[in-house]
Amino acid sequence: MTLLFAIAVGVMFGSGAFLLLKPDLFRIVVGIVLVANAANLTLIASGLSRGVSPILPLDGETPSDPLVQAMTVTAIVIGLAVAALLLSLAYRVYTSHDTVDLDELSHAEARRESELEREEVEI
Amino acid sequence: MLIVAPLAITWVAAAALALLDGRRRWVGWLAAAALAAATVSLAVLTVTVVDGDEVEQVVAGGWPAGVGIVLRADALGVVFALLSLVVVLFALVHEVVAGVRTRGFPALMLFMATGLTGLFLTGDVFNFYVFFELAMISGYVLSAYGGETRHYGAAFIFAVVNLLGSFVFLIAVAAIYHVTGTLEMAVVGERMTEVDPSAAIMIAVGIFVAFGVKLGLFPFHFWLPAVYVGASPAVAAVLSGALANIGAYGLLRFGGELLSQELALGATVLIVIGSASVVYGAVQALSRRDAGEVLAYSAIGQAGYVLIALGVGGPVGYAAAVVYAIVNSLNKALLFLAAPLRGWLVGAAFVVGAFSVAGLPPTGGFLGKLELFRAGIDAGSVALVGLLFVGGALSFVYMFQIYQYRYWRNERLSDPSPALLRAVALTLAAVVVVLGVWPEPLLLAGREAAQNLGAGQ
Repeated sequence: MTLLFAIAVGVMFGSGAFLLLKPDLFRIVVGIVLVANAANLTLIASGLSRGVSPILPLDGETPSDPLVQAMTVTAIVIGLAVAALLLSLAYRVYTSHDTVDLDELSHAEARRESELEREEVEI
Repeated sequence: MLIVAPLAITWVAAAALALLDGRRRWVGWLAAAALAAATVSLAVLTVTVVDGDEVEQVVAGGWPAGVGIVLRADALGVVFALLSLVVVLFALVHEVVAGVRTRGFPALMLFMATGLTGLFLTGDVFNFYVFFELAMISGYVLSAYGGETRHYGAAFIFAVVNLLGSFVFLIAVAAIYHVTGTLEMAVVGERMTEVDPSAAIMIAVGIFVAFGVKLGLFPFHFWLPAVYVGASPAVAAVLSGALANIGAYGLLRFGGELLSQELALGATVLIVIGSASVVYGAVQALSRRDAGEVLAYSAIGQAGYVLIALGVGGPVGYAAAVVYAIVNSLNKALLFLAAPLRGWLVGAAFVVGAFSVAGLPPTGGFLGKLELFRAGIDAGSVALVGLLFVGGALSFVYMFQIYQYRYWRNERLSDPSPALLRAVALTLAAVVVVLGVWPEPLLLAGREAAQNLGAGQ
């Protein structure tokens, strides 16, 4: 089971890291979401124990580790909030620059800066 | 109960103010008042903890210790919490006086203050992560503040890079739980000594990368200048004066207390990366003309000093790291707030900050540099002392380059800024000078904070 988790985490983190290197803002967001979920799986895997669900265990029953589940739920919520924030930022970039391509964004930035410098020289 | 007060005040006030329109002046002042109340209660707590030499501890929800989530205030935590709240307070007052431009700004500053207080005062590794994300997410939103379209791109990169760091940290937290079976910092520190060295080193590397990104150290710095340049002065001050404290504190707490053996093992690496940061930051800052850019690269260089002090280690090294981190965060806040202002006495406020960065008396920066030199001599390394001297000399040159550029050349071109804005910057400058001429509190804080670190070595 641990091996399965390790492979899953590895593949997810690797794919996420690969997407982070793409110049497209939305691919980057997906990459972050994948990395976040790789971290969530790691959290679950860190306390992997078999047992009944950890709500009021009866006599003789061993519950599974409730702490990792609580942590993972918290981490999922944080990951969701972060994904929403990133998407809204990406949308703001799209509405203000009409592109989600990082290369085009940096070209636009460089053009703007050279224009600003020319204005300063004229002043 | 004193430990809960700053957290509760900022949290409740942030949630309430999020519903109000922050552009109204009274909402901004209300936020500043709440933050001031939290800062005062934290100052009282700091005095009790540092003076009384005791650790205040509260277990949430009335659970027995070891089961519930622990809030604990030791010297290291309260000193950083107080420092961060003071910086956030100054930045908030500055922005309220200058005029808030978006409705969420005061609430976001308070949420960041909550996150920062929480993460410095928690005794639980996972809770640290939660508060850390609260502070960072406020930081991501604030970095887009300013209304200019080009901020969105920088804010996006800032968020993505730091999120990657956060998730690496989360994976390290999972690993800590797996190998020690607990999340309580005090217990983790004890059990870490018996952990398989290869696992412990992996954890230490993950944590170092996570906080290196926060602090903007040399190989992880690339996002930093883009965010600081063009950001509104209050936001830049908060990002470099308060949020960057997370990196310094995290390295001290996790490196010095929880993973002190691994820290000692990697000391050379830390000193080499720190030196690279110092040289790179200074050289880049020297080649820039824009004040924001110079300060951004200077921040990279100054973070390197903290890392060097950490690498030297021992009571002297840790105390130097704490003192330097405190002084550096006040310097950066002062310089970012003072740089865009114009008018009578503003140059004086800026020059206090410049003196402090260069490490000249009578400012607090002198003490920071003094402690660093002491750590360097303690380590017995001529190269290190030489590097500290060269770094200080370079920072003197780049700071006065922008001073000359901004205050001697086109002083008369623009109207003076509002008197109240200048008063905020001057008050912060006065704090930096007072720390320099009355050094006992700062040095005591540094010594006390470093006391519990490096116990496992």
